[in-house]
Amino acid sequence: MTAPNPEAQSRATHQESSMESRYRKLLHAAPDAILEVNEEGRILILNEAVERMFGYSRAELLGLSVDHLVPASMRSGHSQHRAAYAKRPNTRPMGTGLELQGQRKDGSLFPVEISLSPNWIEGSLHVIASVRDITERKAVENRIQALREQYTAELTMKNEQLEARNREVEQANRLKNEFLASMSHELRTPLHTIIGFSELLTEQLEGPLGEKQQRFVGHILQDARHLLELINEILDISKIESGRLELKRESFDFSQCVEEVLAGIRHQAATKNITLENKNRFQSSLYADRLRVKEILYNLLSNAVKFTPEGGRVWVEGSSEGGTLRVSVCDTGIGIPEQEHPSIFEKFYQVGDASGGTREGTGLGLPITKHLVELHGGTISVESRPGQGSSFRLTFPLLPAT
Amino acid sequence: MKKILIADDKATSRELLRTVLERQGYAITEAADGEEALQKALAEAPDLILLDLQMPRRTGYEVLRELRKDPRHAELPIIALTASAMQGDREKALAAGFTGYLAKPVALVHLREEVQRLLQANNSVSTGENG
Repeated sequence: MTAPNPEAQSRATHQESSMESRYRKLLHAAPDAILEVNEEGRILILNEAVERMFGYSRAELLGLSVDHLVPASMRSGHSQHRAAYAKRPNTRPMGTGLELQGQRKDGSLFPVEISLSPNWIEGSLHVIASVRDITERKAVENRIQALREQYTAELTMKNEQLEARNREVEQANRLKNEFLASMSHELRTPLHTIIGFSELLTEQLEGPLGEKQQRFVGHILQDARHLLELINEILDISKIESGRLELKRESFDFSQCVEEVLAGIRHQAATKNITLENKNRFQSSLYADRLRVKEILYNLLSNAVKFTPEGGRVWVEGSSEGGTLRVSVCDTGIGIPEQEHPSIFEKFYQVGDASGGTREGTGLGLPITKHLVELHGGTISVESRPGQGSSFRLTFPLLPAT
Repeated sequence: MKKILIADDKATSRELLRTVLERQGYAITEAADGEEALQKALAEAPDLILLDLQMPRRTGYEVLRELRKDPRHAELPIIALTASAMQGDREKALAAGFTGYLAKPVALVHLREEVQRLLQANNSVSTGENG
């Protein structure tokens, strides 16, 4: 079998026509509307998607001006656009950045994206337009946009609510502080005369008091001072909790500070025949709030004396290790059961509450002490067992004076 | 005899301060509000004033400001008395021109010391100026 072979030829013709049919199918299979228009804008070739998209039949579309597929409002501009394209024909998306629309036969509009390519046919410029219906994409975009706006609005509202809430909290906090300040003032005013006149009476300058009278006035004075201490501590704890207590750091002689506090507690210790010892070995200066450090030591020492029986011992240890000052306030007192250790730094907790012990303090001394130590960047912990005394261990970071 | 003006709107407080200071040998005059304090300070020329900060008609700060305007009272010892005792109150009072500061409740020993200290200090200043 040699060529020419009519059977093979017919197969080739068949193959060619098959090729064209395959291209046509390819064209018709495209979801985008594809059409070719001549220089006058008349539609020459189209795929099935054009019919579906615009609602015309193939017969209606062939030879129709492509302007009919453009919204009426845009039609006059469209012929100018075509003229402009003819001057610079290249493949490009149409109307970049514009919201393009197509118009169906029934006059309804839909959003489109259009890509244009030049096609020179025998010296005449034809244009191939590929039109994509982006109704669904637009709907999704619009939905996303609407959601975004909704969320933004909700977020803005939430923020405004939060800001309003913040302002309310600040206002409430300010009112609380003002209330505490004025309450403190109002309570101190009568205490001033209660304590003053009691002191005056104990001095017996206005005449001698009997033994009972002296004792009674002593009770008034002692309890009035206790009340004053309570007021001061409540004010302190409220300042600490609202973050308004500020340290005034300075360089000072720590060992002298210990001496001063011990001197202040000596009388209290002597009445119970308790030996006070200064075992501090830290002789350098400390950069901290001197009055607050004294308050810390005073609180711990006065507790130690309070909870140590007659004839016991109370002492202060101090030494530096690396960048840390370690201070211990120790006693041979009644001690604290281990299960109470975490609670003793809580507000209004009193050791011995459960065992029916005496309530002498305010229950605020240790919480304040802990806050003050922590404000200095230090730590406080307790080692104690019932009947074997207590040791309160403090650390202070040794800061360079600034 | 040194004269001390006690300005406090609370009568019991004035009696307490008067009792303590009279026993120290000072002559006492009293004012029950800020306006009276200012008038008595100007009319009676006390050697020292104990001035409560919160009084009707004029606050202690207002009285102080009025008095300090007059050069004759520029060096007059004026002690601020207050029950407020907030952090920074002392500094604020001293910065405003008070010579001393006592927080209520006032310990009697502090009251006596502060009054004596300021009167002596002022005495030596005056003597120095005169001599």
